[in-house]
Amino acid sequence: MEDSVRRTSNCSQQWLLRREVLSLTRKFVPVAQIRRLRKGMVISMKKRNLGFYLRIYRKILIQDLKSKMSYRADFIISTVGMIFTNIAGFVSFWILFQNFPSINGWGYYEMLYLYGFSLVSLTPVQCLFDNNWSLRQYVYSGDFIKYCFRPINLFFYFQSEVFDIKGLGQLMFGVGTLVYAWGKIGLACTPMMIIKTVVFLITASLVMIAVQNAAAATCFWINNSFYVLDLSMRCKDFARYPITIFSPLFKFIFTFIIPVAFIAYYPSLVILRPGEAPLLSWLSPLFGCLFFWLSYKLWMFGAMKYSGTGS
Amino acid sequence: MVIKMNLKKYLTLTRAGIIESIQFRASLFVLVLGNLLYLTVVYFLWKAIYASAGTDVVNGMTFSDTLIYLVLATALFNFMEMYTVWDMGRNIQSGKIVLDLLKPMRYRSYLFWSFSGSFVVNFFAVFLPTFLVVYIVTGGAIPIGISLFYFVIAVVMAVIINYSIDFIVGTICLYTESIWGINIMKQVIVLLLSGATIPLAFFPEPFKTVAGYLPFQSIYNTPLMILLGGGTGTEEVFEALGIQLFWCMALLACSSLFWKLSLRRITVNGG
Repeated sequence: MEDSVRRTSNCSQQWLLRREVLSLTRKFVPVAQIRRLRKGMVISMKKRNLGFYLRIYRKILIQDLKSKMSYRADFIISTVGMIFTNIAGFVSFWILFQNFPSINGWGYYEMLYLYGFSLVSLTPVQCLFDNNWSLRQYVYSGDFIKYCFRPINLFFYFQSEVFDIKGLGQLMFGVGTLVYAWGKIGLACTPMMIIKTVVFLITASLVMIAVQNAAAATCFWINNSFYVLDLSMRCKDFARYPITIFSPLFKFIFTFIIPVAFIAYYPSLVILRPGEAPLLSWLSPLFGCLFFWLSYKLWMFGAMKYSGTGS
Repeated sequence: MVIKMNLKKYLTLTRAGIIESIQFRASLFVLVLGNLLYLTVVYFLWKAIYASAGTDVVNGMTFSDTLIYLVLATALFNFMEMYTVWDMGRNIQSGKIVLDLLKPMRYRSYLFWSFSGSFVVNFFAVFLPTFLVVYIVTGGAIPIGISLFYFVIAVVMAVIINYSIDFIVGTICLYTESIWGINIMKQVIVLLLSGATIPLAFFPEPFKTVAGYLPFQSIYNTPLMILLGGGTGTEEVFEALGIQLFWCMALLACSSLFWKLSLRRITVNGG
């Protein structure tokens, strides 16, 4: 029994590996072998450009929304819950500043800007990558194998399956906070500034996505990875504070090992205090892409190693 | 004889829980590590906050008071959080709850005692080390004496209050079949109003009074304030414990009654 299952999962892995090899060295593989492989999967490799993925994403998204709408009460309660979370976060922030005028030279509105910045940059991870939370259950129960049999990018297919609308409430909350703080600080509202903000917001979200991907991927190696994910989610709360409050060791950790400083602090320095921004701030788009790429590789590495459970 | 039998039955569940928790050593390690990381952030954050304030005492709390308060609140949270709502919700959705209802034991006790094992493990793995570390870091700022005894009593009642609230919220899942939303709402309200994220002493006036009338402050604020207060103001301590006892009884009764009423209309999809 177990043997046969092992074999099936091995097959799927081989299939995946073969597919990778195929796409790389297509020219050098004997025609007969390609035919044999293609019999199983009737797809053409050429069509897989960005448009192809967007089309698939739209289709999966519609299905997901339909299934969400069939649990309407749950949807409404979850949305209210999300709003609650944001309000509570804001209230504790406000209470803190009722007692203390500033933190480490950062005033109320500057901190508010950081807060709004982190909220907005957390939206993509909330909306688009929420399935990471279920990854460990899929891996644990063995259902993960179903993703391995699809002839599209494994990571893409897995993440596209769930779209979390609740995140949109957070987005609005974050944008509101950001705009309010922007006005109160009296920042200029030039097109250049807006482009800068958008670029750095995207960078920041890439970092957050990377942190979550890496945390979720640990479930390929350890059984109960909930705590790792939970920890990575708690880290996002640290992103709201200027990193200058930490000692050098922790500055290093939060910059390069658990890169939470890139979620709000480094990118927003460019906008808030361009004169003070270190090189790292300006390089943060690069770091965002790098961290994302690394986490993607780790995730895929874990998925390739996955050997099924047998049920 | 009957009591002995009962106790044995419950302790078996505790033992099973301990064994289960120890099985997941990796997650225990991550829990401890995450806890340390979190505490470090709290330490630096509040150090910076107090440095900017200019004075040593804010709202009657010194830096080390605040640090002890927040660190132990986190430790208590890790120790008390039983994910009851998650478990109940999931069992209701999957229908497994039927099997638990058939067990020769009240569901409420069954759930509580099956979590008690992780209490024991978390106490030794998380709470005790944190307590010792914070005791050493702050140079013995925690008064060791009779207050420690009151603290233990307060924690026991806090556990019961927390569990009762969880159980009430879990029962609501019978009606809504929503887990995530309900749970997140509960968690946010409890953590904010119990003073786990920011000590209640820092709350501006109307909020402080309102929070004082709610049961949530009995979960984290009361035990920690008793611990920090030392031996002074025994009357205040007894008053706080009395309020806790009141909420303990009231919420136990509420959760029990609500569960009994709700059980009649339970619908289970398969199982």
